[in-house]
Amino acid sequence: METKIPSTSNVMSTLLRADLTTQWRNRKSVIMVLLVPVIICISWKSLVDKLGGPFVLANCITVGLTAIGLMGYSNSIARDRDKGIFQRLRVAPVPSWSIMISRLIVQLFMILLVTIAVFFAGYYFDKITVSASGYVLSFVCALIGGALYLSLGQVIVGLIKNPETVSSTTRLVYFAFIMIGMFGELGLLGKQIGEAVKWSPYGTVKHIISDSLHPATWDVHSSVALLVTFGYTLIFTVLGINWFKWNSR
Amino acid sequence: MDNHNHGIVLQVESLNIYYGTLQAVKNVSFEVRRGEIFGLLGPNGAGKTSTLAAVEGLLEPKSGNICVAGYDIHEKKRYARASMGVQLQATSFQPELTVSEIIMLYAGVYGVEMPREKLESILKGIELNHAASKRFGELSGGQQQRVSLVIAMIHNPQLVLLDEPTTGLDPQSRRQLWSRMEAMRANGHGILVTTHSMEEAEAVCDRVAIIDHGQIIATDEPQRLIDLHRNVPAVIEASRKGKITLEDVFIGLTGTDIRS
Repeated sequence: METKIPSTSNVMSTLLRADLTTQWRNRKSVIMVLLVPVIICISWKSLVDKLGGPFVLANCITVGLTAIGLMGYSNSIARDRDKGIFQRLRVAPVPSWSIMISRLIVQLFMILLVTIAVFFAGYYFDKITVSASGYVLSFVCALIGGALYLSLGQVIVGLIKNPETVSSTTRLVYFAFIMIGMFGELGLLGKQIGEAVKWSPYGTVKHIISDSLHPATWDVHSSVALLVTFGYTLIFTVLGINWFKWNSR
Repeated sequence: MDNHNHGIVLQVESLNIYYGTLQAVKNVSFEVRRGEIFGLLGPNGAGKTSTLAAVEGLLEPKSGNICVAGYDIHEKKRYARASMGVQLQATSFQPELTVSEIIMLYAGVYGVEMPREKLESILKGIELNHAASKRFGELSGGQQQRVSLVIAMIHNPQLVLLDEPTTGLDPQSRRQLWSRMEAMRANGHGILVTTHSMEEAEAVCDRVAIIDHGQIIATDEPQRLIDLHRNVPAVIEASRKGKITLEDVFIGLTGTDIRS
């Protein structure tokens, strides 16, 4: 009975395979995450001329990112923690960070998927075209924005242990984010709320994605929005990691 | 069974665990030897789970030493964990994964090569070769327990920790699990099992420790514990049919009050 320590790369690839398989088996929730921003994209066809293609695409992508971070990530973490799946993995000779990194990689994959789905819907239904550099930059900004929502999801599972409460809280926050975010951005909720939304996690993410889709419009405000996005992500990550407990009991 | 010549696979010394100001485990010491099934018995909230969590390295004790196969759980955590196999109380696997996928996952996590023939042989060994592509969530309680046990043993560990392994199992599944535990013992593994079932402790454990209010109050072979305490009034009072059992000793030592 020799004691053998597995290599970290082997552990990571094994965990990633299992997490991707789990995500694939939860196809219904993946489709739901993709469907909402695609439907918004299609239904906003008439607004493309008025608001501009980048505005519409950025809003749709931001809604998708919100769903991934707040609904997909936090709910899967809360469920697996409650079922003892993390505890079982943690008593194996694997570094705890590898368990979370594997989960986050799956979510990054989801972010790419949502972004592609919105681009496809935007092109196919709304005839929105973007330059090659716009596509590349917006993928990068979608990943940065997605990281913000994942860290916000981490805060929620850090604060709340019960998976049902996590689920209802994330639904509420998601609904509040997309409703206040979208209507606030459109100026339908008044000037003050519109200004607050602009610098909220919704507004800054939408701003950087929108400007990255049309790189010529990137200005000092875009850079400030990017910095604020990084700031939110840092704060939420620190709080989320500090408050997080691997055990739900 | 004489274990004195066998090596020690788990050494717990002067373990003290606190939750805030509440002391959950008080100066607990015991050891598990190779080829031994050691039972940790106690009422709810007695400190069994906390002790087990500390052995697994999931909980930081205030003081005390824990060595698994010679590795200190805090200084050499990954080596200590690689030397132990764990079966947790909860059915702690992703319900979306199939039985084969779960075995492959944990083989990878423990760095064990798992060619198809070996996987098939493992599945046959736990009589689940027909259910290889079934999802874990679709298995019965007994089948889940068998998968859980095979995962605990996948890397041939020196120490196996079983946390209330027969809870919720029917008598057939329970007997089958006992046979598997005895086979593990015969292969030289040291087994630490927590259980509420005195029948189980009496049937399979070589030695047991009774823990109550965070302290070990008795450690010995089940039959010796019965012999030592058969004349204690509280034990006689607990006896139901004239014959003193381990459960009578347990009740006699820990009292009849229901714990939360």
